[in-house]
Amino acid sequence: MNGIDHNSITHFPKRPKLSDSFISPTEIQSEFSHHSPSVARINNGSFGCCPKSIISAQKKSRLVIKDLVNADHVDEISIVDNATTAAAIVLQSVSWGFSQGRFEKGDACVMLHYAYGAVKKSVEAYVTRVGGFVIEVQLPFPVSSVDEVVSDVVIPVKELVKICREEGVDQVFVDAAHGIGCIDVDMKEIGADFYTSNLHKWFFCPPSVAFLYCRKANECNDLHHPVVSHEYGNGLAIESAWIGTRDYSAQLVVPQVLEFVNRFEGGIEGIKKRNHEGVVAMGEMLANAWGTHLGSPPEMCASMIMVGLPACLGISCESDTQKLRTRLRDKFSVEVPIYYRPQRDGEVDTITGYARISHQVYNKPDDYYKFRDAINELVNEGFTCALFS
Amino acid sequence: MDQEESRNGDFAHYNDHHVSKKPKLNPLHIEPEIRDEFSHHRPGIARINNGSFGSCPKSVLAAQQNWQLKFLQQPDDFYFNTLRKGILHSRTLIKDLVNADDVDEISLVDNATTAAAIVLQQIGRGFGEGKFNGNDTVVMLHCAFQAVKKSIQAYVTRAGGSVIEVQLPFPLISEEEIIREFKKGLEKGKENGKKVRLAIIDHITSMPCVVIPVSKLVKICREEGVEQVFVDAAHAIGSVKIDVKEIGADFYVSNLHKWFFCPPSVAFLYCRKSNVSPDMHHPVVSHEFGNGLPIESAWIGTRDYSAQLLVPSVMEFVSRFEGGIDGIMTRNHEQVLKMGRMLAESWGTNLGSPPELCAGMIMVGLPSRLRVWSEEDALRLREHLRVHFGVEVPIYYQPPKDDSEGHARDKDGVITGYARISYQVYNALEDYEKFMNAINILVDKKKICKMLMTE
Repeated sequence: MNGIDHNSITHFPKRPKLSDSFISPTEIQSEFSHHSPSVARINNGSFGCCPKSIISAQKKSRLVIKDLVNADHVDEISIVDNATTAAAIVLQSVSWGFSQGRFEKGDACVMLHYAYGAVKKSVEAYVTRVGGFVIEVQLPFPVSSVDEVVSDVVIPVKELVKICREEGVDQVFVDAAHGIGCIDVDMKEIGADFYTSNLHKWFFCPPSVAFLYCRKANECNDLHHPVVSHEYGNGLAIESAWIGTRDYSAQLVVPQVLEFVNRFEGGIEGIKKRNHEGVVAMGEMLANAWGTHLGSPPEMCASMIMVGLPACLGISCESDTQKLRTRLRDKFSVEVPIYYRPQRDGEVDTITGYARISHQVYNKPDDYYKFRDAINELVNEGFTCALFS
Repeated sequence: MDQEESRNGDFAHYNDHHVSKKPKLNPLHIEPEIRDEFSHHRPGIARINNGSFGSCPKSVLAAQQNWQLKFLQQPDDFYFNTLRKGILHSRTLIKDLVNADDVDEISLVDNATTAAAIVLQQIGRGFGEGKFNGNDTVVMLHCAFQAVKKSIQAYVTRAGGSVIEVQLPFPLISEEEIIREFKKGLEKGKENGKKVRLAIIDHITSMPCVVIPVSKLVKICREEGVEQVFVDAAHAIGSVKIDVKEIGADFYVSNLHKWFFCPPSVAFLYCRKSNVSPDMHHPVVSHEFGNGLPIESAWIGTRDYSAQLLVPSVMEFVSRFEGGIDGIMTRNHEQVLKMGRMLAESWGTNLGSPPELCAGMIMVGLPSRLRVWSEEDALRLREHLRVHFGVEVPIYYQPPKDDSEGHARDKDGVITGYARISYQVYNALEDYEKFMNAINILVDKKKICKMLMTE
């Protein structure tokens, strides 16, 4: 690749072996040539990406997903629009539990403080409203070691589920919106009752398609799609396959996506590995360039990583992050989400802003240099978020 | 092709091929421009079932692809700067079309099925949270769309409410029959001090297809103390003129992808502004929960919202026709009547309803000799027509009543089968002649439904 300064990058991933059987860099760029050319696109986490060859394909998919996630039976796999819809399905069934007296008022629902905003709203709509009690578990951030991690209950999902079983939790729902293509997804190993992941984020499907896994051993026949149509009562997977006239094409391209993925060396595992190595390398490059640090050790990130922004930027609230993000998009053509981490008591001159950078197959080092230089320029000109108000 | 990242969102012009001259309308033969707009329809098929899945012209599909590509090019930018403005634009145009007071009364959802879930979920909460008494009722028409019936089961029956179905006579002579039966149904709903919490009234029923005098029925509901009225008008927009204020319902839904040239799928749900907080929520809860149904519905997680952005393109498309959408509706109605009469005359049968109770679709009696004697027979005939004659038309089975009064008859017996034919701008005389001949051939060959091959 042109433009790589091998002095400043210590661990940039080895380029995939160029052979006739694997997709070439030129082909990759071509697959993503519809991406806006002037933007350094390092926010794959929000909306994902979809290669051109997928956009025009159609075929049925639940079997492919079942194999991908190591589920026992295809009946356990329902296809829905997105993780948000999956959350509504699971939470609606919890709601019925309260309304129909199977659960008592005050019975609890536990979630992480960092649960996705939309999921929290869904919990409010379906659980709080009918008398359920909601507990939010606080997690530390940033984290610097695995030990701290274990004692502070930030643990791999598999262990979390195990603890739930030991503690007599009725049902466990894993929201793995970023799942396939980003992290390891093995239903039997994880052992949750319900598991959802979007396929349009890291698995190259067009917007939008997700799967909701329901363990067969469960009383899964009580789950229903909230949009009720002709197939009501025929099981969630069948209900979800027809919820009125609409465009189902995104749900039909999963086999084609698998074909696309297998054009890469190592298939989806190879992609994951190289994304991880790439984002860590770029994260470290940025942290070094700015004199900051990463939000978590490399082993606790997948294809996205949090990189501290210079404290002198003075990010002091949520709206600062939005405005800084807009400035980066409009003035520097860099697309990256910014996260605000409030200063705690006793902390001085802390880093209060983190960028969540991503690495996906279409990214190049230039994208991250662009971001590096943008922040350096802001720092050099004495920019602070106080200027926004 | 306009591919600029226009921040201001130039919504109006997505066609490269602006045609300044409006197509001359001789409705029995398709103009070349119209034929071209629908050239993606499978050739060789007499497509006279616009009611089920609608149709969408090429220029609107091109506009949709433009929106989809815009999202894929830079999704964050689209999400922050383009999407909501586009949805608001569509909603505003709909508001004017249906004579709503306020754009806040218009939400865009996937389809009427989703709208039904929204309305019924709210009713379900009323039962679940004890606001309604057990056994308070929901009244609906017997011929309500099957998916809506399932939704009532899922949200009302499950929560303890009871359901009254109003039988409508068919075939119909006049709207008085509808009004009479509906009043009877409401009385049943109020028996023994029960309260009717919701009446669901179709504006245009699906099978059999009839235009219902909704304004009159809504008025009766108000007089009889029905708490909420939901009009399921899945077929209405682009079929009949809609004036939501005049109709006076609390909720009104219509699909834009049936008769209003949008691709699948998009519908509008009108919710009358009222003093009582309506407690309407989209069942897929996301960031905008609590900000009002229109705003909630405009973001229900990452997905393709392009169909919701196309109303301006559709307005442009229909303006190329003489009289715009009104002209289209008038001509569709005239033509479907004409075609229906032609078929009925050729077969020696009847029409299922008087002209004033039909819009762009009409029920035409099938020769009794075909012996449509069950729903399976109807399905068999439909498939046989599709596979062997290239005719796509839904068939309806009307069970005979015990007394044979009020039954339509032809020279051979009681008419129990009806075809629901439609007329939309892409149709031509040949489509109906094809159907007419197909049935005549079957009758000549003394075929009956049970013996029809479907492969």
